[in-house]
Amino acid sequence: MWKTLSFALPVLFPSWQFFKTVEPSPRVQWALLSDGEGDVVEWNEFRLHPLKVTALQMVLRLFWNPYRNDTLFVVSCAERIQQFPDPHSIHEIRRRILSDLRKLPFDTTDKLLQFRLVFVHRGEVGLEHEVVFLSDITPTVVPVTC
Amino acid sequence: MLTFESALRATEILLALAFLQQSAEHIFGSRDARSLFFWRAVMSIGLLLGYYSEWTLLAMSAHSLLILNRYQGPYNGGSDRMGLLILYCLCLSRWLPEGLPKEAAFGYLGFQVIVSYFVSGQVKIINRDWRNGQALQDVFSFSTYPVAESLRALAKRPRLLWAASWAVMLFEVLFPLSFLNSTTLIWALVVGMAFHVANACLFGLNRFVWFWIAAYPSLIWLHCRLVLGG
Repeated sequence: MWKTLSFALPVLFPSWQFFKTVEPSPRVQWALLSDGEGDVVEWNEFRLHPLKVTALQMVLRLFWNPYRNDTLFVVSCAERIQQFPDPHSIHEIRRRILSDLRKLPFDTTDKLLQFRLVFVHRGEVGLEHEVVFLSDITPTVVPVTC
Repeated sequence: MLTFESALRATEILLALAFLQQSAEHIFGSRDARSLFFWRAVMSIGLLLGYYSEWTLLAMSAHSLLILNRYQGPYNGGSDRMGLLILYCLCLSRWLPEGLPKEAAFGYLGFQVIVSYFVSGQVKIINRDWRNGQALQDVFSFSTYPVAESLRALAKRPRLLWAASWAVMLFEVLFPLSFLNSTTLIWALVVGMAFHVANACLFGLNRFVWFWIAAYPSLIWLHCRLVLGG
């Protein structure tokens, strides 16, 4: 109860420090494994940005933008995990990856899933990528228990 | 001259519409926490129609704690915070005794709109990266905010981004001055709306548009009350 109320307090006394600094930016990447022993062969970007968005799409997204807003929530979860790897944020990201996996044109039910968080920032000579979190390896299908 | 009751009602209608838009995205779009947002949508319709507003606002405020708990904080950061601030201020305005307490609760919302712009500008203008345009270059080059990869090309236009940075910072830090005159306030709100629409188009932050617009009547009323003596 107190924890929930603690979420409401910053609402009543907000800080409004939008874009104070441009912090390292998270990317969520996932991989499918055949077993829990081998190394990951290929990391896939979670929810790649489209190459182009037309002016009409931008206007329509003022009224209908669920996919983008959900992806922004994933960014918040990634930033929370960077601060402290809390189970809630890990679960929220994993749940969304699993949901997107079901839309793939091939069967992933016999595979294992792992995801990682890569933070991108401006370095001395260009953009630098740093892996800050590697999830546990879990099944892509939750086993049914009797 | 905007009366207190008209401003309160306008804010309720705009907030109800913003919550309906948000709830529709959850129920039919991302399909996440659908039952929670179904009830928010039902209560938003009640608020829109104006039936028992004080009870509806109280129920929505209590229900908002369930959503905060579900996501362990606001789902979409600053925009959700503004939505909830509007909700809580409206609820207090409906329940507090007539006169100053009611007006103070609603006026606090208008005050926070001014603070939201000013603080956002102030924290940027003291940052060297914002003053020389580097911060916006970073936003376009590697942040997750641009809605399309093609927009990353803007990172290679430093003069344009330097000018855009200063336009944003000056608008935000000078916003409180617009409060002193009715004409400048209206123009500042028009520019503010355009600013939020631009952010929605470039960065996909559509919820900011609807929640900040929903808070504008409180600022207009506060201006009438304090500056025009209404």
